[in-house]
Amino acid sequence: MTIDFNTAAIVSIACWATGSLLSLLRHRIPALKHPGTVFSFAGSLAMAGYIAYYWLLLDRPPLRTLGETRLWYAALIPLVGFLVEYRWKIVWLKYYCVVLASFFLVINIQHPEVFDKTLMPALQSPWFIPHVVVYLVGYVLLAASSVTALHNVFLQLRSKATVTGESVSHYLALLGFVFLSFGLIFGALWAKEAWGHYWTWDPKETWAFLSWLAYLGYLHAYRYKIEQGKLQWYLALSFLVLLVCWFGVNYLPSAQNSVHTYTQS
Amino acid sequence: MVVVRRRWFQTPWEFRESALFTVVALLGGFVFQYISDGQGIAQPHWPINLIALSLFAVVILTIGIGFRNSLAVKWFGGIPMGLCLIFAIAALSLAGGIFPQEAAESHSLPARFGLYKIFSGWPFALVVLLFLANLGIALSWRLIPFQAQNLQFILFHAGFWIALSCGIFGSSDLQRLVVPIEEGKANNLGYTMESDTPRQLPFSVFLHDFSLEEYPPQLLLYDPHSDKLLMDKSQAIIEVRKGTTASWKGSTVLVLDYISSGMPGHDGIPHPADRSTGIPYAKVRISTGSTQHEAWLSTGSPFLKPDAAQLGNFYLIMIPGTPKSFRSAVTVQDSHNHVLMANLGVNRPVNFMGWKLYQMGYDEKAGRWSTLSLIEVIRDPWLPAVYLGFFMIMAGNILFFWNGIKRKEVTS
Ligand code: HEM
Repeated sequence: MTIDFNTAAIVSIACWATGSLLSLLRHRIPALKHPGTVFSFAGSLAMAGYIAYYWLLLDRPPLRTLGETRLWYAALIPLVGFLVEYRWKIVWLKYYCVVLASFFLVINIQHPEVFDKTLMPALQSPWFIPHVVVYLVGYVLLAASSVTALHNVFLQLRSKATVTGESVSHYLALLGFVFLSFGLIFGALWAKEAWGHYWTWDPKETWAFLSWLAYLGYLHAYRYKIEQGKLQWYLALSFLVLLVCWFGVNYLPSAQNSVHTYTQS
Repeated sequence: MVVVRRRWFQTPWEFRESALFTVVALLGGFVFQYISDGQGIAQPHWPINLIALSLFAVVILTIGIGFRNSLAVKWFGGIPMGLCLIFAIAALSLAGGIFPQEAAESHSLPARFGLYKIFSGWPFALVVLLFLANLGIALSWRLIPFQAQNLQFILFHAGFWIALSCGIFGSSDLQRLVVPIEEGKANNLGYTMESDTPRQLPFSVFLHDFSLEEYPPQLLLYDPHSDKLLMDKSQAIIEVRKGTTASWKGSTVLVLDYISSGMPGHDGIPHPADRSTGIPYAKVRISTGSTQHEAWLSTGSPFLKPDAAQLGNFYLIMIPGTPKSFRSAVTVQDSHNHVLMANLGVNRPVNFMGWKLYQMGYDEKAGRWSTLSLIEVIRDPWLPAVYLGFFMIMAGNILFFWNGIKRKEVTS
């Protein structure tokens, strides 16, 4: 018996939608606040459960293909939204996050994965999971940071920017940078064991380095006290570089013989 | 708020001047590259590169500490310059991330500007050198006088300085050679990617055995008209096992029996055989509408023809699974009688007298029957320095994470 991915995805999306709706209504009916939270969490929990199940079914961690990584983003991105709500009492981020997560699941529904249990020898390494998971978490944080920054940009245009809003995008970027740095170095250490050299300017490596540089630039610009207006724009746009690194590399002329383009479905 | 417009070259210098400087450096790099006809730079080897790097470090630290009040040095070691150089490196990497980076010889215009060899060209070298100078000066100010609160800064910046400089200056001492070895033979010659003349290694490698394990074979439908392989309707890779089912275009296929290693029998029925000679066989039942028939499929091998079954205008075929693991049992020996017996596998390299040996490949046409193993041997004397840099960055990262988390408490 196999649990259908579509069912799991629809359950998750339905939970998030219900949770968000209840949460939007909580101003009128305060009693809806907790059920809202429970539903929102249940959505991510359902996806986490599906990932665990899929892992068992595959006999290998579902981290090999782009579609498989989208499952993880779908489960994790809303959690960042919830964390920010809990920590800074900023509620709106979680709506963006939930929409983003649902978007990932819809892509997967429309492009069913080739169900493939094999894992090529180079990926059979103790570094595989930490490297990919650290990157996943980094991307999730930076995605949330960009969304926050974009929101701040709109607020600025209406002269309503807040210090809290700006510090949220900053801390998310900072934490994301930490994970990106670990991911980069773990990748280098792994490459040494698997391919013989820690850095070969493979297109994926080059783009990962570029994304890291983008955030390195941000941190120094922040330190130099560049105006917030510009910094928020910068953070919002930095995500484009990440997107190329993550999806786009496969389509670039340089990537024809890259060792780690994700398997396409 | 009064906005004071800075004029060009008004002291203290800032972004504009740094950006101008960086652009000039980049242009200069491309001009050099053009004049040298797209050739990269010939880097010095050990120990010249070590001496050059040490001298460079001493000069930078001296300038940073000795002239720390000079406006020019302050400008050169400042964040604006750092940012401009970070963007310059990013711009070059962007070019390297878009143009395919291969060593193909060509005399087109982009090739003369080194766009296909960005990372070994003049512009990149120049910008990295300036970057190291800028970073080194910024670092020198925090190193002396030393303060514990600067530890995070020092770990990050010194770590990156060490990793980048040693990685780049040491790249000329990196040796990567491929050693092809036949089972039952030894070899002490290695080939580089660039040339066909082998190089003598200070040791020899004897190959006892090469072995390859495959995932289970897969069922696919072959369309002879379009020469394409079709997946079944569930889009799953169908791994052949007893009881596996699959369906294509109104027909269903059931695997009745599976022999992972067999040989053809006299009566057309295969019988189990030793793994060294046998090939996978599967007995399938194909049902289309109300008709059914059974057939034996096999993957074939260099010695046996594969067996397929007809399914309408298509053929149902079984192809060997992808490699799951492959390894070489080897004995490595040098002239001083150091001996090492090891089982090399992908992700499982071994060390021998400053060299690292990797399982690289095999004869892919022969697949499981390959008697040839390709071993890559690598010597990188600068690796410990680069790793020291990596670990310093990671330590700085942990502090940064910790401080980031702690500082949140203040804002809330
Ligand atoms: C291009 C040359 C660079 C210069 C001139 C430079 C300079 C600086 C300066 C002056 C600071 C402020 C430190 C403080 O206030 O304590 C800083 C912070 C920092 N730098 Fe650099 N840096 C450079 C490159 C790098 C690189 C390559 C890395 C990464 C390995 C890095 C990582 C950091 C981090 C993580 C911070 C802390 C930012 C924060 O606290 O918000 N820097 N840098």
